[in-house]
Amino acid sequence: MKNTIKITILFLFITIGGCEKEFLITFPTNQISGEQITAASQLNPGLQSANVAGIYATMYDDNAGGVDDHEDFGQKSTDIKLDLLSGDMALARKGYSRWAAISEFQTTEDFTHFHNYANWRYYYKIIFAANIVIDGLGGNDFVPETDDAKSFLGQALAARAYGYLYLSQMYVNDPSTLSKEVLPIYTDTQTPNVAKSTLSDVYTLIESDLTKAIEYLDDFSRGDKSQINKWVAHGLLAYAYGAKGDFANMASNAAAVINSGEFSLMTPSQIVFQGDNNAGGFNNVNNATGAMWGVDITADQGLGLVSFWGQMDIYSYSYQWAGNYKTMDAGLYAMINDDDYRKDQFVDFNGFPYFPSNKFYHEGRTIGGQRQVTADLIYMRVAEMYLLAAEGFADSGDLVNAKIHLKTLVDDRLKTGTSAYIDGMNKAELLDEIKLQSRIELWGEGKSYFRVKRRKETITRGTNWLDFPGTSYAFDNEKLTFEIPEEEIRDNPLLADQN
Amino acid sequence: MKKMFLMTLSLMLFAFSGWSQKTVTGIVTDESGLPLPGASVVEKGTSNGVITDFDGNYSIKAVEGAILSISFIGYQDADVTVLSDVLNISLEPGVALEEVIVTTGYSSIRGKSFTGSAKIVSSENISSKNVTNITQALAGEVAGVQVVNSSGQPGTTSTISIRGTGSVNGNTSPLIVLDGVPFSGSLNSINPQDIESTVALKDASATAIYGSRGANGVIVINTRKGSSQKSRMSIQVRSGSNMDLLPRYDYIQSPEEYIGYIWEGQYNKAVLGGSTDPIADANANLYGNNGIDPNYNIWNENGASLIDPVTRKTLPGVTRRYNPENWSDYAFQDAQRQEVNLNISGGSDTTTYYTSLGFVDDVGYSINSDFKRYSARLNLSNRPKEWLSTNTRLGYSYQETNNGGQSSDSGSVFWVTTNVPSIYPLFMRDSDGNKIDDPYYGGYRYDYADEGQARGFAPLTNAIGDANLGIRETIGHNFNGNFEINLDLAEGLTLENRFGLQYTLNNRDNVNEPFYSSSKGQGGYVFKSKDQYFNFTLFNGLKYIKDLDESNLEILVAHESTRWERNYMSSSMYKLVEPMGREFSNAVISNPPSSYTQDYALESYLGRIAYSISNKYFVDFTMRRDGTSRFVNNKWGTFGSVGLSWAISDEAFFQSQNIFSSMKVRTSYGVLGEQRVGYYTGYNLFDVSNLNNNISLAFASKGNPDLTWEKSNQFGIGLDFSVGSFAQASIDYFNKDVEDLLFSRRVGPSVGYASIQVNDGALVNKGIELDVNFHVIDTDDFKLDIRVLAASIQNELTQMPLDPATGEEKLLNVNGYFAQAKGRSLYDFYIRESAGVNPDNGAAMWSVSYVDADNNGAFDSGEEILSLYDHKIQNPDDVILTSTTEVYTEATKKFNDKSSYPDLAGSFSLNAEYKGFDFTALFLYSLGGYGYDSAYANLMRNVRQNADYNLHTDISGRWQQPGDVTDVPRLDLNTQINQGSTSTRFLTSSDYLSLSSLRVGYSINESALEEIGVSSLRLFFTGDNLMMLSKRKGYNPTTAASGNTSWYNYNPLSTVTFGANINF
Repeated sequence: MKNTIKITILFLFITIGGCEKEFLITFPTNQISGEQITAASQLNPGLQSANVAGIYATMYDDNAGGVDDHEDFGQKSTDIKLDLLSGDMALARKGYSRWAAISEFQTTEDFTHFHNYANWRYYYKIIFAANIVIDGLGGNDFVPETDDAKSFLGQALAARAYGYLYLSQMYVNDPSTLSKEVLPIYTDTQTPNVAKSTLSDVYTLIESDLTKAIEYLDDFSRGDKSQINKWVAHGLLAYAYGAKGDFANMASNAAAVINSGEFSLMTPSQIVFQGDNNAGGFNNVNNATGAMWGVDITADQGLGLVSFWGQMDIYSYSYQWAGNYKTMDAGLYAMINDDDYRKDQFVDFNGFPYFPSNKFYHEGRTIGGQRQVTADLIYMRVAEMYLLAAEGFADSGDLVNAKIHLKTLVDDRLKTGTSAYIDGMNKAELLDEIKLQSRIELWGEGKSYFRVKRRKETITRGTNWLDFPGTSYAFDNEKLTFEIPEEEIRDNPLLADQN
Repeated sequence: MKKMFLMTLSLMLFAFSGWSQKTVTGIVTDESGLPLPGASVVEKGTSNGVITDFDGNYSIKAVEGAILSISFIGYQDADVTVLSDVLNISLEPGVALEEVIVTTGYSSIRGKSFTGSAKIVSSENISSKNVTNITQALAGEVAGVQVVNSSGQPGTTSTISIRGTGSVNGNTSPLIVLDGVPFSGSLNSINPQDIESTVALKDASATAIYGSRGANGVIVINTRKGSSQKSRMSIQVRSGSNMDLLPRYDYIQSPEEYIGYIWEGQYNKAVLGGSTDPIADANANLYGNNGIDPNYNIWNENGASLIDPVTRKTLPGVTRRYNPENWSDYAFQDAQRQEVNLNISGGSDTTTYYTSLGFVDDVGYSINSDFKRYSARLNLSNRPKEWLSTNTRLGYSYQETNNGGQSSDSGSVFWVTTNVPSIYPLFMRDSDGNKIDDPYYGGYRYDYADEGQARGFAPLTNAIGDANLGIRETIGHNFNGNFEINLDLAEGLTLENRFGLQYTLNNRDNVNEPFYSSSKGQGGYVFKSKDQYFNFTLFNGLKYIKDLDESNLEILVAHESTRWERNYMSSSMYKLVEPMGREFSNAVISNPPSSYTQDYALESYLGRIAYSISNKYFVDFTMRRDGTSRFVNNKWGTFGSVGLSWAISDEAFFQSQNIFSSMKVRTSYGVLGEQRVGYYTGYNLFDVSNLNNNISLAFASKGNPDLTWEKSNQFGIGLDFSVGSFAQASIDYFNKDVEDLLFSRRVGPSVGYASIQVNDGALVNKGIELDVNFHVIDTDDFKLDIRVLAASIQNELTQMPLDPATGEEKLLNVNGYFAQAKGRSLYDFYIRESAGVNPDNGAAMWSVSYVDADNNGAFDSGEEILSLYDHKIQNPDDVILTSTTEVYTEATKKFNDKSSYPDLAGSFSLNAEYKGFDFTALFLYSLGGYGYDSAYANLMRNVRQNADYNLHTDISGRWQQPGDVTDVPRLDLNTQINQGSTSTRFLTSSDYLSLSSLRVGYSINESALEEIGVSSLRLFFTGDNLMMLSKRKGYNPTTAASGNTSWYNYNPLSTVTFGANINF
């Protein structure tokens, strides 16, 4: 009897102690693994689009560049850096020392500085995410048949081109030196570190990716403005052609967007606060008729201080409010016609002039008010296309078309006057006017930097700068170009030298 | 009853064993005179022995002149010579490893036969310290064990490492085993007063049985049990203070001194900018848009008439508008520590019990930081049948922790108190310089710099206001239970079953009030999280023990499985009704919630054979196969060890010398594994988020499905010996070859990710450990012991991981301040070298190595070598010259021949007893290491024009005019960029000497107590962390394993208490 009990108990423990085969298989729930995505995709084919959406989610991630700094939040942090470098945005007060390293040219002369790493990491992360989609579909030679496959591949190719486009401008002193070896190129997710390719090869890849993207996205009707459609791809291609000096193609691609009729210029009530809190275009991508590409931010994205709004808007809980003042350059402000609506975008705050508080503002308009960011982000506007088309036509000698495009924009921006003053301009005068209009129209949007490089301009800082007021810098000055980060030179055995 | 029978029987047997013997009788007692039942009394060199009865009585036949050896677990052995018929013997408490039972979880092994390196920490050394958990109490108790106490927050657990760093990126902390079961809960839930013994297992033989989890050593903790012979009640009360005794950095506290430095910075900046009138420029810019916000001018003068340009100090006669507060005065408080413990134990023949209640209230010296714990324990042992025994151990604790002001940002009170320039007031001032009443909370309104003023330092925040006005509370429930059922199946064969579980629930509430905090714009904010941990381990094993004539055999085969799970959930809302309401019903707008689960599982099959011959030679073999869920494709690994030990002192030849009174040598070799590397590193991971209400999956990190076990081959040899009655010592040598290192290999970020976890590379850890206890004085009245612990550990990477881009070993893996390279230690500094200050212009200089490309005999920009180590290997023919540069980014990174590993570290302690008094002092030391003192570097920075940071008093030695020879560069408001960036300038010797623990006790004479029914009473004074001597005031190298510092650091508490122990 006693032995029977013992044997029963023994058997009981052995049964409990034995493990199922699945015992040692666990999966994450905080993030998701590639294996889970594959398994879930069989049940939910729509998930393939989630990898594409992931590219866009990285663009506003508050640690997109992997440095966990409050100046690291993807595309819009690049936009602030580029406007500071191009001289249109002045750092007028250094509370918390935010952006001081850009203003003081520390970043661009110090390859150890974190901004160099953050941009580099961010754009290559976008490229990697695009390559995940491309690899997943079948690689670079894959020819899509279905509408879904076309739209996924088209978006991924355009996103990859976007990554290389920004890198090719930000990390190269003179983006017309085609034979210079400048950037490593990766077109899949498997290749380990490689050596630098020439700028010419980079441009070739960008053109080819965007050309294919335009083809694949031809029938794509996007769900919202966060997605790249063929017009965004045209816009990116216009910038790419401009970068290498092909102004005719820059004009034609920009004009293609305008002629599509998909977008209309933002109205004065959208671009400047005129008493209606809810009319603003820059905090609402769906209000903004001119927004070609942007994202509708909701509380679900969990953005706060570490965001465009946390840096630029006094009506948000922001550094802009806390004493880190990013204002318009005094010299540029002086050049704005008093009759121009856009002059009203820039107002005084706390005794300092030229705050962009009537351009970028949270609709609540309570000082320090927006804590949880729900104001939207805009990456590309049709106004850029008018300016690119005008510049491209002008440079190619087609002054008539150039003036038509420029005047359309200017007419929309003047309160009482007209654009007739443009009619009599010669080519040089016209290009100067296009430059001025683009500096005013696109202030704070990171786009002037591309023009400075493509037109080989020299920039001059105004009197309201804390650092180097009144000094000038040529477009290819080291101070205006980012450095390949120390980590790349150190950890990529095939890349040893700075550009 | 049974014992009585045995006693009688043995007496009868011995009665017949010869007439040349006499009968010796006596009582064996403990140090306080209480009888010790069950002590063994053996005639040395024979098998003649008895055990004492309930009243400690024994009776044994022995010839005159024979030596009786008396032993009892937990007491030192005593040898007495038979000279009379009555021998009463009092045993001293204490532990000699030789005679103690080493409970290693799967087996209880008599110390003598133990082949591994183990160190028992006596419960007295733990319970007498002012600690709330055992981790801090281990400091200085075991050679080769490092305890890092990273924070003074009451209730913090310290991190422990044994025998150095055994992994690059895997976990390096030891496994904790509580009452035989691997423990993954918080050690803070175990009341140190409930701990009977703590054993640190250091080498392969000791740890192999834990296989996968023992590669970094094992800490075995056993809680108290009751005794079937004695019922006891014991009460301990102690009360005292927590203080901030350890020194802080010498930062500038005078606003007049500070403002002079900013003015000087303006002046130097103007000079460097080519100004024609730098004095006028400095005067004009001191306050204003290019300087400090004029709202913070605390003087009755404007910037132009404040500073004497010659002395660079405020002009005589300058008066203040108001006196800004010293922020420290409002950040730190008088803090109390109270502790009460009660335990009751006892039992009968079949059941023993131990039950306890404990309460500790520990308040930190920083405001709003405290820890309260209520703990209870019940340990029950049962033997309901001859063949069935059970052990049940249940512990529960309830904890309340407040840790306000300790975030790693501008909310840190430690950051602000040291680093706020003394010109800034804590409380807001009106235009007349008067403080403003706070209309919401009473008192004065904290200056949050949120009314348009731009304080250069931490605008919009006030860490002290936040800590006072916000809620940062965690309430925790901890339960741990171990259940053991053992069945005797046959003679010597036992089925052992253990089930252990730990459950923890931490409820965290954070409230930011609505009027001043960072949530002002939202109308206040409340955050709640529920963080739940569950871990269970199931062990089933068959153990066979066979006693043969001359030898002993023990065999164990077992299966063990462990599962660990964490469930986290949090949410937050804003716009609060009541400013300090902490429930969601008190708020109206919701943020998105989040929740997730993390888990891992382990499964093991193991076997162990232990064999001993003549009680002199011991050998054991262990084999073990482990599987883990953390690896995707290669889950399983096989590990094992072999250990030998030899009790030399039991050999006949040993008796012929009289220097050594005991000696044992032991050695072991084993292969162990490590797998703690993140739960899901095998997979490519994506972040899941919402994009316009669609799913988006953003790439987050690169996984490696082929990742598998890191293997460490450990060899150890040790010698334990006693020199007469003068000293006991242990010496250990170990060598730990770790291969297939879990290595986070950095890649050029252009591939799309920055690093990938691989199994590659190898390292060696080797070292010598020494533990000597000298009995300097040993008389009846006065005893003095000096104990010295020392460990010297070396670490070297013997193989670097392969770089797939080249197919060759990576030359260099730079990791923060350190770089890893073949032949170097994991923690060799690889930073730019400071070359002092240029006496002509005051600029900081750094060393640059260069190749003189243009042969002009001088360094030119562009010729610099950025990273020396790899350059030399790749360009062996280069002629490398050295010069200096004032441009930081031209300077060369190189090995500085300094390591954060000390050459020697350990402790020494004094133990003295005089009559009823006892005294103990424990000192910790470390020699030969270096740390990067970044908190100091931050205070020596080139401050900006808006007074963004405080300065260290060492700034007074800065360069001021051409010709000044100094190592502190000029102040120029960041005109020379990177002036204070990482370089050898702030590399600091981490040598230190600290007084870790001091105690004085007095035991009151028993006879005086008997009348009041008390069996013993001890009064004591205890002080912890009383002194720290290091290279620089404020630099505490013990708060981080690397010896580096952080400016957010809550310096460990110094605690002084008085208390009493009463036993009934």
